[in-house]
Amino acid sequence: MLTLLGKVCDMISARGVHKSFGSATVLDGIDLDVSVGEVVSILGSSGSGKSTLIRCMNGLERLDGGRITIDDFDVSNPKQLAEARKRSATVFQLFNLYPHMTAVENITLAPIQVLKIPRAQAEAEARALLDSVGLGARSDAYPAQLSGGQRQRVGICRALAMKPRYLLLDEITSALDPEMTAEVLNILAQLARTGTTMVFVTHEVEFARTISSRIVFLDKGRLVVDLPTNDFFASGGGMANPRIAQFLAKMRKD
Amino acid sequence: MKFDLTILAPHVPFLLKGALLTAEACALALVGSLIIGLLVAALRTSSSPILSRAAFIYVDLFRNIPFIVQLFFFFYGLPEIGIYIDAFTTGVIALSIAGGAFSSDVIRSGILAIDTGILEAAEVSGLSKPVIFRKIVMPIALRTSVRPLGSVFINLVLTSSILSTITLNELTGSAKIVASDTFRPFEVYAVLLIVYASLTYLISLAIGSLHRRLNRDRMPDVA
Repeated sequence: MLTLLGKVCDMISARGVHKSFGSATVLDGIDLDVSVGEVVSILGSSGSGKSTLIRCMNGLERLDGGRITIDDFDVSNPKQLAEARKRSATVFQLFNLYPHMTAVENITLAPIQVLKIPRAQAEAEARALLDSVGLGARSDAYPAQLSGGQRQRVGICRALAMKPRYLLLDEITSALDPEMTAEVLNILAQLARTGTTMVFVTHEVEFARTISSRIVFLDKGRLVVDLPTNDFFASGGGMANPRIAQFLAKMRKD
Repeated sequence: MKFDLTILAPHVPFLLKGALLTAEACALALVGSLIIGLLVAALRTSSSPILSRAAFIYVDLFRNIPFIVQLFFFFYGLPEIGIYIDAFTTGVIALSIAGGAFSSDVIRSGILAIDTGILEAAEVSGLSKPVIFRKIVMPIALRTSVRPLGSVFINLVLTSSILSTITLNELTGSAKIVASDTFRPFEVYAVLLIVYASLTYLISLAIGSLHRRLNRDRMPDVA
């Protein structure tokens, strides 16, 4: 889709994004585009600003400078934020499921209330989604009755139920043990194959390598490189940067 | 002196009428204070400084005045400026306002205890503020505050005995009349002790079952 100005608007676009908490600058002039169909992984050590960048994209943090648009809707504009949010959905590190609602109720709340989908249809879609992540039998369980990996799979279903154009994934396996991490990553691999657009903030370097079309590396709030996955891991590409080589060496050792 | 309950027999219908009046006033005030409590808690936790300040003043004001003074002000004070309200309505309103102040504080602490991540998830999914309050904030806050809310409601029933001071012959009021008619205060007030204890025990039972219902996800999984 092109506008009259020839500007591509099917994308998340960040330009000169600045964010500080008090005197600490967390994002220091980030430029990043994510087009429909891409899987972009954001790597970087803790405190590099990865999660804050996602939280700026979905409007949970206010920008101190620069601009983020989702399909041309400016997240800093209160009137456009609702439209921007309709186009993206977020999966959180700590799941953030509604504890008083069953898996199906967690998934159907926003489709019914925001997208105005009839309840019966929303429930059928929710059950189909839960089936697709292997949780069909747990549809009516409450979050407290599910394991971490199961909760996160519900979290992914809840995001997908909004039929977002962009899926924002904020360290979604960081609170899980390796076995549960595998459960969740399998779902992401499945989504990547079906062409779901994803912005994936993660510490799972190897997995990011298998599903991403591009890798972005942040360090101290700055975007160090933004490269196609193969180039990022090539010795003359991202690996040429000592900070990245050091980061990858450390990650692989862990 | 002999403990003889039979002398109360002719007065049972009168006492029952009083008990019924107490039950009615308490049931209405319970609903009233829950509604006020939810509303005021919502205002106190709202992002508007004016609304939250107003709610704070309300809570602070009514928690710091003896109930009997509030009641006298409504019943004996307001007619001086031309506002007449009958004793029963005055009682229900006064109980609701006082109970609402205490309820709102309990509910507010339940709201503040909600994990912000849950609210962020609701916010980014595009739910409107009223929907988030109704579907997420309120039910989660009530899960944690239903037990302390039970104490507030029990206190409400006990406080309702003060309504006897504004000519309302509820349970305590009728008992006073029977005691002075029969000159047998020991028997009369012994019965009164038991009736109040039973009334509040019923509330405890109801709160317990409500608590289990609201927290059913933490019960053993039967699915």
